[in-house]
Amino acid sequence: MPSMDDTMLSPLLTITLRTLWICGSALILALLVGVPIGIALGSRQFVSRGLLVSSVNAGMGAPPVVVGLIGSILLARSGPLGELELIYTPYAMILTSTAIALPLVIGLTLAAVGSLDAEWDLQVRTLGIGRRWRIWLLVREIRMGLLAAIIAAMGGILSEVGAVRMVGGNIEGETRVLTTAIMMHTSMGEYEEALGQAAVLVGNMLVLAGLLTWIQQSGRSRG
Amino acid sequence: MFRIRTVLLVAALWALAIGAPPSADAERSLILATTTSVRDSGLLDALLPRFTETSGIGVRVIAVGTGAALRMGREGNADLLLTHAPSAERALVDEGVVARRTPFMQNFFVIAGPETDPAGIARMGSPAEAIAGIVEKRTCWVSRADDSGTHKREKALFRDAGLAPNLERDGLIRTGSGMGLSLQIAGQRRCYILSDIGTFLAFQERVHLVPLSQPSPSLRNVYSLLQLDESRFARPLHREEAEALEAYLLSPSTLEEIGAFGRDRFGRALFTPLTPADAPMQPKP
Repeated sequence: MPSMDDTMLSPLLTITLRTLWICGSALILALLVGVPIGIALGSRQFVSRGLLVSSVNAGMGAPPVVVGLIGSILLARSGPLGELELIYTPYAMILTSTAIALPLVIGLTLAAVGSLDAEWDLQVRTLGIGRRWRIWLLVREIRMGLLAAIIAAMGGILSEVGAVRMVGGNIEGETRVLTTAIMMHTSMGEYEEALGQAAVLVGNMLVLAGLLTWIQQSGRSRG
Repeated sequence: MFRIRTVLLVAALWALAIGAPPSADAERSLILATTTSVRDSGLLDALLPRFTETSGIGVRVIAVGTGAALRMGREGNADLLLTHAPSAERALVDEGVVARRTPFMQNFFVIAGPETDPAGIARMGSPAEAIAGIVEKRTCWVSRADDSGTHKREKALFRDAGLAPNLERDGLIRTGSGMGLSLQIAGQRRCYILSDIGTFLAFQERVHLVPLSQPSPSLRNVYSLLQLDESRFARPLHREEAEALEAYLLSPSTLEEIGAFGRDRFGRALFTPLTPADAPMQPKP
């Protein structure tokens, strides 16, 4: 595992980097898993599709605190995945954040695929190109929707506090991230620290959302 | 081109992923389940770095209420417990879950309240009388209500006063939160509250509460280390690491450090270490 000497960096910077590391990893995992599922659900017809789509839609509104509870039970040493010894580690937080982001990614990918013109699929098929190339064209076609999915998922997990507190434990130097640190400092009446961290969190959110929006807008202008 | 930018973005995220320090994790580690009062006082921050430095064992401190900490122990979700609820701890010893219970430091609880002392408890002799007075005057009382060691003691004091501890009553505020947050709430709402002295002193300035209780044996607060019996659990514990930390915390030099902790900041020690000779003296549960 990558690691840097904590003393080299200020605590605020360390916490910020850890926050971005956990959110970034969870986002990538959620995209790797969620986009293919979303495309499959969106572009094929099969018997249980309706049920799956409605559970994805329900999952998009799943309360993160419930995800945290289930994660805590599963990952605790006494739980079914206890052998992995993941509870109270950053990896538990990545998994939980992934679980929170996944329905958003699947749901928005699904919506983007669904919004494609019915003609589009037919056109691509009549071109007689291979399946792999067809999927690539599809991904290109729905890229606006995918960026919306990334923005939504990122906002969701970057601002999440309850679930990551439950599975991470807010351990100093290990699992303390910006949101859990803000909550802890506020509960202890240390408003200066909490405000500083809040400013960094909001700043990160603005920069990342701005970057993604810029990519989205410039992508759109090229049509 | 759009695709290149996407690739760049993913690459940037991955760079974060490998560049960021996820943790200062040591190869060997253990989970120490303890109370919010021990963490909030800053004692562990003062003691643990030296342990990790000399032993190479990382300590994951999970600060919860004593009730939750004992539960973590019972289920094998922690390796070592540091709690302050003697009777609940003894129950775990009797169950056989805890192999060894070592009382190793103590301080006391205080009943704190607004300076105006609306129930006039500063004049009362015992904590039980003070609580009876507060309830009679229907002034507000903040209860942790989280099954922590402090909450367990609060319930015992209510019973001493001849009152049912869990009864709904006027002015009772249940926070379900840690000591720090509960003190903040008591300060803002101008209520009485039971707190351990360590957390209280750390928060006194911020919350504008004053200590109002008289010293009393029923306010004695003993912290113990609980070593779990590994054979009780399906999965192995980090037993060697837990024993190393126990030995470190009970070593004469650490006990001396505990006895000095807080002098520079509060002008007085927050904890009194117990030598083995003191240990058999048990407080009233």
